Amino acid sequence: MELAPKTLDVSHLEPFDISSQAPLWWGQVLIACIEGTMFCLLIAAFLYTRLRVDVWPLPGDQFPHLTLPTLALIPLILSAVGSFIASEGAKRNDRSRMIFGLTLNLVLAAIFFAMRIVEWHSLNFNWKADIQGSYVWAFLGLHSFDVVGDLVFTLVLIFCVVSGRYGEKQRLGVHVDSVVWYFLVAIWIPIYLAIYWGPKLLESQ
Amino acid sequence: MATQDVSPHIPNEHAELSLLDRVWQNGRGIFGWLSVTTHHAIGMRYIVTAFVMLLLGGIEALLVRIQLAHSNNTFLGPDRYNEIFTTHGTTMMFLFAVPVMEGMAIYLVPMMCGTRNVAFPRLNAFGYWLYLGGCLFLYWGVFTNAAPDMGWFAYPPLSGPQFTPGKRTDIWAQMITFTEVSALCVATELIATIFKMRAPRMSLNRIPLFVWSILVQSFMTIFAMPAIVIASSYLLSDRTVATHFVNPAEGGDPILYQHVFWFFGHPEVYIIFIPALGFVSAIVTAHSRRAIVGYPAMVLSLIANGFIAFGLWVHHMFATGLPQIGEAYFTASSMMIAVTSGIQIFCWLATLWSGKVRLTTALHFVYGFLVIFVLGGLTGVVLASVPLDLQVHDTFFVVAHFHYVLIGGALFPLFGALYHWYPKMTGRMMSERLGKINFWFLFIGFNLTFFPMHILGLHGMPRRVYTYGPEMGWDNLNLLATIGAFIIAIGGILFLVNVFWSRRHGRIAGNNPWEADSLEWAAASPPKNYNFEFLPVATSRYPLWVAPESEPASLSKAKTQPDRAVVTGLRNDRREVLVTTLMDAEPHHRYVLPGSSIWPFITAICVSIGFIGSVFNPWYIISGSIISGLALLGWFWPRKLLELEP
Repeated sequence: MELAPKTLDVSHLEPFDISSQAPLWWGQVLIACIEGTMFCLLIAAFLYTRLRVDVWPLPGDQFPHLTLPTLALIPLILSAVGSFIASEGAKRNDRSRMIFGLTLNLVLAAIFFAMRIVEWHSLNFNWKADIQGSYVWAFLGLHSFDVVGDLVFTLVLIFCVVSGRYGEKQRLGVHVDSVVWYFLVAIWIPIYLAIYWGPKLLESQ
Repeated sequence: MATQDVSPHIPNEHAELSLLDRVWQNGRGIFGWLSVTTHHAIGMRYIVTAFVMLLLGGIEALLVRIQLAHSNNTFLGPDRYNEIFTTHGTTMMFLFAVPVMEGMAIYLVPMMCGTRNVAFPRLNAFGYWLYLGGCLFLYWGVFTNAAPDMGWFAYPPLSGPQFTPGKRTDIWAQMITFTEVSALCVATELIATIFKMRAPRMSLNRIPLFVWSILVQSFMTIFAMPAIVIASSYLLSDRTVATHFVNPAEGGDPILYQHVFWFFGHPEVYIIFIPALGFVSAIVTAHSRRAIVGYPAMVLSLIANGFIAFGLWVHHMFATGLPQIGEAYFTASSMMIAVTSGIQIFCWLATLWSGKVRLTTALHFVYGFLVIFVLGGLTGVVLASVPLDLQVHDTFFVVAHFHYVLIGGALFPLFGALYHWYPKMTGRMMSERLGKINFWFLFIGFNLTFFPMHILGLHGMPRRVYTYGPEMGWDNLNLLATIGAFIIAIGGILFLVNVFWSRRHGRIAGNNPWEADSLEWAAASPPKNYNFEFLPVATSRYPLWVAPESEPASLSKAKTQPDRAVVTGLRNDRREVLVTTLMDAEPHHRYVLPGSSIWPFITAICVSIGFIGSVFNPWYIISGSIISGLALLGWFWPRKLLELEP
C-alpha cells in the first residue's frame, strides 16, 4: 500500500547516454529491421522467380562477373572496422579517434563503391533487358542508394567533428552511424550471394 | 532505486509550471502550426484527417450501394463504378483505418507510458505530413478523373501498363508509398517510446494492454510494410521504367505480386484490428471497474496474433492453384487465429461477468464489437477451408466477411474508444443519450447492410460487378443492404453531431471521469503539452487504482488516489524526459527531446516532390532524393550546442 506521496529523484542521472540505451539507437536498429526485411523479401522473390523459369538469363545477357564483386568485399568488411573505431571514440568523447575512424570508414567505403561502379558498368544488360536485369539493377540501385546516403552522412559527421561543431547529439550520431554501416555491410553479403552465386549454383544442378 | 517518503519539493511551484508551459509551447501563426511536434497535436491531426477520409470513403460506399439497389441500374456506369469501389477500398484501408489507429496511438501511448512526448517528435510530424500528402495525391487523382479502377489490391496483369494505361495505377501505387513511409515512421517512434520511455517501474508485466497492442501492431508494421514497398515498386517500375518484375513475357510473375501483396495485406488487417483489441481491453477494464481477467493470456494472445498473421497470407490465393500441401498448411494456420482471438474474447467476457459493469456508450460499442466480430470470425473459419473458399471466392460472402471483421473488429471499438477518451481529449463529456442512439443506428444499420451479403454471396452474386439482371433474384436483399447503408450514414451523422455539440455543451469532465486505471487519466483534460507536471511512477499494473500487489486491483479496493509516486529532478527549462530500461523500466538516463521545427514539413515537401514527380518522369527519383537529402541536412544541422551541455 503506497498512500503517502513518494518521490523518485532522478537529478543525479546522466543527461545523455551514448549506448544501446539511447532511444535513437533503437530507432536506428528498427530502421535496419525495416530495410533488412525488404532486402530479404526481395532475395526470396528473386530466387522464387529464378525457379519459375527454365532459361536464365535470357539469351544474349551474361551472368554478372564474380571477380571484382568478390574482391570488393575486402574494403567493405574492413570499412566496418573504421565505424567501430569511430563509435568507440564517440562513447569516450575522443575526438582524434572519431576523426580517424570516420575517415577510415569513408575511404574504404568509397573504394568499395568505386569497385562496384566499375563492375556495374561492365554488365552487358540493363533493367529493361530481362527479369535478371530488373532484379540485379534493383539490388544494386537500392543498396547503392543507402551506401551513398551513408557516405554523405559520414562526410557531414567528419565536418562536424573536425570543425568542433559537435556535442552529445553529434556523438550519438557517430555511434548510430556505425549501426547503419554495420547493417549495410551485413546485408550486402546475402545480396551478393544471391545475385552473383545463386543463379550459377542453381544452373549447375 | 528506493522511493522516499517525502512530498515533492517544489520551491516555487507556480514558476516551475509557467516554465514548463513556456518550454513546451507551440509556435504561433501558420509557421508555428507547421512546426508543431507535440504528440497530442499530431495525433489529433491524424484522427481528424482520417475522419475526413472516412467521410469520403463512406460517401463512395453509399454511391456503390445506390448503384446496386436494384437490377439493371444505370446510376453509375461500369467504369465509374470500378473507380468508386476501388477508391472506397483504398481510402478505407490505407487512408482511414491504419492512420486513425496510428493517430489514437500517437495521442495515447506517451500518456499511458507516463512520458511527455514520443521518442522522435520531429519524425512524428514528418510522418503526418507524408500521410496528408498521400491523401491529397489520391484525391487529386479522383477529382481530375484519374481515380484508380483496378481494385484495392491492383493485381497485375490488369494493373500493368498493357491493360491500364494512363496514370491511375501509378497514382494509387505512389499513394501507397506515402502511407507506408508514414506508417513506418509511426511504428519506429512508438516502439522506441514504449521500449525506452515508460514510467519508472512500469515493467513489461505492467504495461497497459492498449500499449501492448500498439507494440505488437508497430512490430507488425515494421515487418509487413516492406512487402508493400516491394509490391508497389514492382508495379511502378514495370509501368514507368519498363522493368519486368511482374511481366510474364520477360520471365516475371504476376502470382509473385499476389504473394508479396498478401504477405503485407494479411498482417495489414491485423495492423488495423489489434489496436482495436487494445481499445476493447481498456474500455472493458475501466467500465467493468475491475482488473482484466487473464492479463498474461491476453498479452500472449496479442503477440501470438502478431506472429500467426505472417503465416496465413496464402488463404487469399486459394483460387490460384496451389500445391495441396500449401493449401492444407494455410488452412490450418488460418484457423489457428481463432484460438488466440477466442482466448481474448473469453477473457473480456469473464471480466465483464465478474465486474461492476457501468453500461456506458463506450461499453455498448464493445458489446456490438463482440457480437459482430464473433460472427465475422465464424465466416473467417468458413473461408479458411479450401473447398468452401473456392465456392464463395470473389462473391459477396467475402465482402460480408471482411466488413464484419473490419467494421465489427475495428470501427466499433474505435467509436467506443472515442466515447471513452473524448473527455480526455477535449475536457468535456459526450452526450451518453445521443451516444446510445448513435450506437443503435450503427449496429442495426450495419447488420441490415452486411448480413444479407452473406446470402447474396451464397446465391452466387460476384464482387465488383456494377449491376445484375432481374432474373438473378438478388433485388430484395440488395435493396435491404442499401437501406441499411443509409441507416449507418444516419448513425455516422449522429456521431458527428455529438462530437461537435459536446465540444461546446458537454459536461465538464475533470481528469478522470470514468475512474479509470491507466496513467493518461492522471493528466489534465485536455492534457497540457507536457502531459504531467511530474512524471508518474507506475506502482502497479493499474497505477490509478491502489491495491496491495497480492490482491487483484479493483476500484472497490480503494478510491483513485491523488497522492501518487512521482519523479522529481528532471529539468523543466528544456524538454527533458526520462529514459528507462527495457524490461524493468528502471531509470537509466535523462534525455532532451527536440522542440518545434519547420524542417519535418520542408523535408516532407521535398520527399513529396520526388514521389509525385517520379510518377510522371523517373528522373524525379534522383532530383527528389537530392533535395530531400539537402532538407535532411537542414534538419540535422547542429545548431544550439549550448543546449546540449548537462
